[in-house]
Amino acid sequence: MSTESSRRRWLTGMAFLLPNIAGFLAFTLVPLVLSFGMAFTDWDMLRHNMFRHEPLSFTGLENFVRLFRDPQFWRDLGNTMFLLLGLPFAIAGSLGAALLLTKINGRRQAVGPALVVATLMLVASGLVLLRGGMAEQGVWCLFGTLAASVLVAGVLSGGTVYRTLFYLPNFTAGVATYVLWKKLYNPHTGPINFGLASLLDGVSSVVRTDPRVVGYGLPVLCGAVAVLLVLWQLRRLWRRWDDADTGTAAIVAAALTLAIPLALLTSWQGWSLPVAVGVAALGAATIIVSTLRRPRPWGKTRTLDTGLGTELGLALVLIPVLTLLVGGIILGPILPAQAAVGIDPPNWLGDYGWAKPALMIMALWAAIGSNNMILYLAGLSNIPPELYEAADMDGASPGQRFWHITWPQLAPVTFFIAVMGVINGMQGGFDMARTMTAGGPAGATTTLSYLIFIEGFETGRLGYASAAAWVLFVLVFVFSLLNFRFGNRDAND
Amino acid sequence: MKRTFLVCLLALTVASTLLHWSLPEQQSAAPVLYWVTQNDPVKRETTALFRDWLVAQGLPPVEVRIDNASQQRTGTTGEPKELIQGVSGMGGDLIDIYLYQMELFQATGMLMDVTEIARRESFDPSVTYQAINTDIVLDGRQYGFPRNADVVMCWVNRDTFARYGQPEPPARWTMDEFEERGRRFVAAANPPGSRKRIFFLNRVWPSTLRRGLGLSTYNETATRCTLDDPRNVEVMKRIYRWTVEEKLIPTIQEQEALAADASGWDSSFSLFATGRFAMLYEGLWAIIRLRPKGDFRLSAVEPFNGGFPNAEIGCGVVSVYAGSKHPELALQFLRFLASKPFNRLVARSGDSLPVLPSAAKSDDFHPRDHPGEWAAKDVFAKAGREIGIAASKSAFVLPSIVFRADTEAIESMLAGRMTPEEAARTTANRVNSEIALRVRQDPTLRRSYEERVKIQQQIEARRAARLPVPASWISDPFHLTYYRAHGWLEKEAAP
Repeated sequence: MSTESSRRRWLTGMAFLLPNIAGFLAFTLVPLVLSFGMAFTDWDMLRHNMFRHEPLSFTGLENFVRLFRDPQFWRDLGNTMFLLLGLPFAIAGSLGAALLLTKINGRRQAVGPALVVATLMLVASGLVLLRGGMAEQGVWCLFGTLAASVLVAGVLSGGTVYRTLFYLPNFTAGVATYVLWKKLYNPHTGPINFGLASLLDGVSSVVRTDPRVVGYGLPVLCGAVAVLLVLWQLRRLWRRWDDADTGTAAIVAAALTLAIPLALLTSWQGWSLPVAVGVAALGAATIIVSTLRRPRPWGKTRTLDTGLGTELGLALVLIPVLTLLVGGIILGPILPAQAAVGIDPPNWLGDYGWAKPALMIMALWAAIGSNNMILYLAGLSNIPPELYEAADMDGASPGQRFWHITWPQLAPVTFFIAVMGVINGMQGGFDMARTMTAGGPAGATTTLSYLIFIEGFETGRLGYASAAAWVLFVLVFVFSLLNFRFGNRDAND
Repeated sequence: MKRTFLVCLLALTVASTLLHWSLPEQQSAAPVLYWVTQNDPVKRETTALFRDWLVAQGLPPVEVRIDNASQQRTGTTGEPKELIQGVSGMGGDLIDIYLYQMELFQATGMLMDVTEIARRESFDPSVTYQAINTDIVLDGRQYGFPRNADVVMCWVNRDTFARYGQPEPPARWTMDEFEERGRRFVAAANPPGSRKRIFFLNRVWPSTLRRGLGLSTYNETATRCTLDDPRNVEVMKRIYRWTVEEKLIPTIQEQEALAADASGWDSSFSLFATGRFAMLYEGLWAIIRLRPKGDFRLSAVEPFNGGFPNAEIGCGVVSVYAGSKHPELALQFLRFLASKPFNRLVARSGDSLPVLPSAAKSDDFHPRDHPGEWAAKDVFAKAGREIGIAASKSAFVLPSIVFRADTEAIESMLAGRMTPEEAARTTANRVNSEIALRVRQDPTLRRSYEERVKIQQQIEARRAARLPVPASWISDPFHLTYYRAHGWLEKEAAP
């Protein structure tokens, strides 16, 4: 090929690439560099625009200093972190969905009874619909018909329909789903509270029958489960320490994991914040000291951060579970009094305490059928079947098969999902909060990205908003580094 | 490969040309003005009437196109869409401006100063209600003209009161009376065990309550937020009692949740019409929303007060974009807003009060097909003349920031995360910090601020010595009215 010809080919190729490169430069690289520069200036949309040309001032680190002194920033960072606690549940949900769909595919042959039931349901629904018209019964029948259709289609297609349906939230525009969920969460007319109201009426009457059983029983039950969980974790921790699978940093992380719910329990009981932190610190110190004082096995070596990734991963599950149990301990004694007047379903988006969990539940729904599920499906199909055959020959139970084969083999996928989940979680939350709660009530759902929007476009301080955006970038970067450093991404680990 | 590239290039060129040809400017023989506003029947009728008015005036034709897509009315927390388009040179020729947007938009320089031409062409502030002057005039310069004026009052659904055997509220009443009557009403309307809550009123407006106790958001010169005053603590305590303990009014979130539709704000009208709210705290324009909801008996009363009767008056302003391609034609539109035909249209439609006060006395204000509304409309017109006071604003802090700080503090208090004292203090601290920051960052503002602080010291010295104060020293509209009502002003020349 002549030089002229290859030069032409190169030029043609570049001509095709040019729109993309121009777009990248104009809409990504240049704004990125500009925003970095803006973070160190007093750029204010009100004073620096096409109509007002006041000189920009270099303010050094002033924007960053002000940001770190701003209580709103810390509140919004806290909200962002809180919403991030939903990530393990989202991962578990998408993995569960993937496992379910894989299972359905594997048992395509056993469809006879399901097909008969579904057909009967479909016919019955159609008949009632014809007879009842589109009144209340008609609507119920419509649901029935829909459910039966899904069942039939799923059975016939061997899971393809289910996969599509599970993936549906990903097709749907975000705002549309937010509006839908807003309706679902409506405390007066929403179907969630419609269902909960009957359930809570039942609970109220049970509690009223013997208030003491619930008043004492629930805290005792939750307390017992929490204690068992803590003991299990301590036993596990000591074993790992003895086996040199855990370093000092991991012990500290594990101790803090158990201390956080303790701090919440103390704080929710009405103690002041310093007391709560003190109690939690004492608990954590006891765990650390009692572990580190254990004799080290001869000949085994461990580094400072050995097993830290495992402990951090476990913390993401343990903290929410223990927090729920602590909630049960607190709720027990006040439940009889509430039951006496009737327990109302929550005001999901309107109550300060419920707004964040409500958004997390919605995000969980979206996450179950997301790209994560597709990744897990691909990951599951890549696991060598001979591993399961070997396990079967060894007489492994389904739980053991999952824990010793599926879960470790999916480690690279889980690692990727966790990294992307943390990045998206820290950057996200804006569109959801903007549509559903406008950041309220009392700023309960204002995330860092929402803060950037407010500062940039509601108050016009683009320099300050850029500083906040770069702080967010640093946080995301640090979290990603931690993930890469301590995350378990090798299937053979 | 080269052919593919050329085909792509050709297709893009053809598409761009088609797009250019399809632009309204290319389709219309007359110049096109874009009006960033809501696309409702009144606005459509307005554009048609403007065409006729131009013909009658012997002026060349202009086509006004409503740009609803660029309009983003989200209440009072800032309007990024219009703002970003404006400062980027992409704003509509005419921009609708609501309650708290004027300061924000004017500060960017994106609004045309129309002071001189308005004086020349008779659409200056003197032709409309004096109380709304502060909505169109900033620092002595005019930045638009109102298309309507409105006072926020309490609409009363008389059928709802009758349904529960409760007496209707009086034309003028106090906060204590509101509480007492409200308590009786919700007890009658919500029997024990009922989950479907009936409220006495849809919302309260804290600034009106504060003004009723003689307190404004700012001091006389608008250089400091005064919401850490004990009178605001009293207002906060009452809001807490009415919302959380007595449940006379819903929280904002409850109100949104009550609605069957997605938007919380619009739902108020449905809930009022169906009797879930006995009263509705809204402007006269609510008529437009209430008419389609059926025939029910309406009346209106003043907002309850703490000793100083007042109601917030505001207006929907139309401003000319400083980067407009046709500024002279856009100015004709403002002139049209001060014309009799347009004001008759406003009076007829019920879309708030016409900006020419005389139009509220015409027959158009009492439409024959809606005789049930006449009495209520007269109450609004009277309130506009007698107790209407424009919103308090400061040149040193964006109203959207104040609104957010106030709302978050109130919500925190309602959620039990702050005491009323903390909520009042937090709001004042946040707003005063913002004032300090903006004054520090903007040298132009700093000079004006320092001058006003000196005036404030003089006002306080005079007040301490029980001496009257010149009206020109006071920039806050509430303080001006309050001082006048108490005889604390130096004698003014007759208007």
